[in-house]
Amino acid sequence: MNFSLLLQSLISGLLMGGIYALLGVGFSLTWGVLRVINIAHASFGILAAYGAYWALTLLHVDPVLSLLPIVGLLFFMGMGIHKAIIQPITRAREIMVASMVLTFGLAIILENTMLVIWSPDPRVLTPSYAGRAILLGDIGIPMTHLVGFGLSLVGILLISLFLHKTHIGKAVQATWQEPEGAALVGIDLHRVSRIAFGLAISAAGAGGIAMAMMYAFDPAMHNLWLIFVFLVVIVGGVGSVFGTALAGLLIGIITGLCMAWVPYHWINAITFGILMIVLLIRPHGIFRTGV
Amino acid sequence: MKVGRRPRTTFWALVLSTFLLGSLSPIMAAEKPILLGGSLPLTGVWAETAKVIEKGYRFWVQEKNAQGGLLGRPVKLIIYDDQGKPDNAVKLAEKAITVDKVDLLLGGYPGTAARAVMPLAEKHRMVYVSMGGHMKSFQQGYTYCFGSPPLMGEWWFLAAFQWLESIPADQRPQRAAVYIMNNPVGTSLTQSINEWTKKLGIKIVIHERYNLPLPAAEPLVLKAKQKRCDLFISGGVFPDGVMTVRAAKALKYNPKVYMQGVGSIIPAWVQQLGKDGDYIVSGTSYHYKLRNRSNLELRKKVKEKLGWDVIPTYFGFAYAWLQTLAAGVEGAGSLDQTKIRDWLRSHSVETLAGTFTFDEKGLPPPFTYATQIIDGQVELIWPPEVQTHAPIYPKPPWGE
Repeated sequence: MNFSLLLQSLISGLLMGGIYALLGVGFSLTWGVLRVINIAHASFGILAAYGAYWALTLLHVDPVLSLLPIVGLLFFMGMGIHKAIIQPITRAREIMVASMVLTFGLAIILENTMLVIWSPDPRVLTPSYAGRAILLGDIGIPMTHLVGFGLSLVGILLISLFLHKTHIGKAVQATWQEPEGAALVGIDLHRVSRIAFGLAISAAGAGGIAMAMMYAFDPAMHNLWLIFVFLVVIVGGVGSVFGTALAGLLIGIITGLCMAWVPYHWINAITFGILMIVLLIRPHGIFRTGV
Repeated sequence: MKVGRRPRTTFWALVLSTFLLGSLSPIMAAEKPILLGGSLPLTGVWAETAKVIEKGYRFWVQEKNAQGGLLGRPVKLIIYDDQGKPDNAVKLAEKAITVDKVDLLLGGYPGTAARAVMPLAEKHRMVYVSMGGHMKSFQQGYTYCFGSPPLMGEWWFLAAFQWLESIPADQRPQRAAVYIMNNPVGTSLTQSINEWTKKLGIKIVIHERYNLPLPAAEPLVLKAKQKRCDLFISGGVFPDGVMTVRAAKALKYNPKVYMQGVGSIIPAWVQQLGKDGDYIVSGTSYHYKLRNRSNLELRKKVKEKLGWDVIPTYFGFAYAWLQTLAAGVEGAGSLDQTKIRDWLRSHSVETLAGTFTFDEKGLPPPFTYATQIIDGQVELIWPPEVQTHAPIYPKPPWGE
């Protein structure tokens, strides 16, 4: 076996998986805590990627720096969307089904709005370090991938700290574990839900920018990203930040090993085959432990 | 009394109108427009390109009408929006033929839509000039379908290989890495790559297909680098093409020739990749820099009327499809579809993309123009008669 090829494949897979994890964390939160399956989740990632693209091309601001205001804006946008359209459907008998239909419509609106603003032409984030790489013998790690992965690690860590170390984060956890009990002890469920939704959308934004460091994007790309978001969330366990992060890395390792050992056109079949096996053995995902 | 006279007045008015209409009918018939209809994905992900095609169609119609029309009649366009869904394209083509009773059918886009409409055109015996949907769509025994020019994966690298053939054998690339996306567009490239590499004595060391989306390109590039491949063929679209170029640069892998599929001829390639997109070789069946009479005339008109220096590729395609259809109509002197078809099959047609004769499949002899991106411009490098820039060989190292 060619060791450097194996190592290169593993590194590339891990970097990719880490970024999927950040994109998936917010999706997992809304699904687990709010029982809302947000089909528009990845669309917010694309929206953030376009924001970073504009910041880079028009204002020459590096995506790492533009990420902060974009994520902040998305947080408030998420809260507003929750209040305007998500909260009303929480009265529905089947919240998950209703939310899927509703957010499917939202995804279409977002996609078409982005098509009008940015056209269907694909874009690439090319910060100043875009062509650079860390070379270790034969192996190369592109700087954009490394920065994207770094963003993912920091993003997941911050979300985890928020959920475990802050009062609101603990309220989110309480809502996930026992909504009625949380309401009885005075937690405002609507407020907590709004914050959780805002947090999820901003995580989608950070994930979208990290993805755009690695991949070209266009307004319709969210459909593809969403498939991988589902993959990491289902494998990781719905509602588990830790699980989603580990699932992302695990899928990255599996993809990396596939890239090293099997023909490329088998990679998706193998990765999704593993997902099916995981679901057969552990229907709630590997790491379902709660928020 | 007044009441009694009204029906008589109406009667005479009707008689007079009938007489007048009857006597004027040849003039009316002469002015009745020729309807030219079909659909394009004017909304959805293909909309940007479709709108360019629509502009090409409208520009041609405007020009034609200014010159007195087709067969002395004005031409009127009916374009529906199929949203890029092939089933919609079929339904709308059926509507154009049976409800609107169009005289001529418009070529659709993208290849999936054109491929879906081709059997319908054949069923209704309507001449259908479009890009088609690669070779298989033209191998179904249709007799009313023409690719003028077609967009053929099978021919994509034809001119690029012809250029490589012109390089002395000892200086040519010797070992090829071929990575092709696993879909009909990608796999349509395979046969010609196999045949040409064999003909040129280039050994294919890696031949892999990958599903989209490509998870990562570094392992794929590293494999090619380790196996000392000096010809790299990436038969993909924009997203995977960009990933592969970036990976090649990151790993300092620099083959003598880097060929890339459809991704590299779209404007976004140059705009988004900048210098990193340079020296990539690809192919096309139309380019605005072609110097044939028809294209030079159109460049002049487009500059005058639209203020454009560059004719977008798909604007040119649309214009060439209608040039072909019009040549058939004028050649046949009729709107009879079988006569138009037969005329096209037995005569050559001058278009922006070249002068074509058609075989039994409705295709011109295999051709493409090899392109190379040089200083951020898509240049024609082969065949020599269309060359706008000498090919750069071997590819300079990244960043130079």
